[in-house]
Amino acid sequence: MPENCEASVTLAGDLHARPAGALAVAAAKFSSSVELTVGASRADAKSVLAVMGLGASSGQQVTVRAVGPDAREAVDRLIGILAEATKVGG
Amino acid sequence: MSDRAMVGIVLVSHSAALAEGTAELAGQIAGGTVTIATAGGTEDGRIGTSIDKVERALRLADGGAGVVILPDLGSSVLTVRALLSDADDLPDQVAVADAPFVEGAVAATVTAAAGGDVKAVQGAAEEARHARKL
Repeated sequence: MPENCEASVTLAGDLHARPAGALAVAAAKFSSSVELTVGASRADAKSVLAVMGLGASSGQQVTVRAVGPDAREAVDRLIGILAEATKVGG
Repeated sequence: MSDRAMVGIVLVSHSAALAEGTAELAGQIAGGTVTIATAGGTEDGRIGTSIDKVERALRLADGGAGVVILPDLGSSVLTVRALLSDADDLPDQVAVADAPFVEGAVAATVTAAAGGDVKAVQGAAEEARHARKL
């Protein structure tokens, strides 16, 4: 039964190339589809270029939405990466 | 999926510095777990391509899960094609990605780091053509 899960986090730093890479590597390991939303922009979390193209910066709210059998785990993992990785920048 | 071998990446450029710099960037973004081998410039260090360098890089990059090759421009493509049609005993699964060099290398390396197979890694590189940076 596919789950649908969503959570948000406010970035503590800019979403630079390295955290975007960490995010995409983690997202691609889940079978659920995972999407990031920042303001009016959306990106497939499994595409590092799309994630970097969001240009998400410190103070912005990022919403992670996953649909699929491991949606909850995917959202938890990516929210964790967004919270941690943007602290140090990249 | 970390217990499986990852797909390796080969970057073929006319310039050794361009190939090595792109490998460094892609490796950093993807977390450093993927083997990225470079074949940049000629054997004597000039701008150009070398079929022997490409062959060495291909063997170096293969960890058993196959290799995706990204050529930069023009004769890099011809050199890769010549190698693949002539050489014996190359890795079983080799694909050439028709992709922008830097973006393709980054996307391919990230997908390889996530455990994607040769087709997925090639596909990620080729989708880079459509990624907007602004």
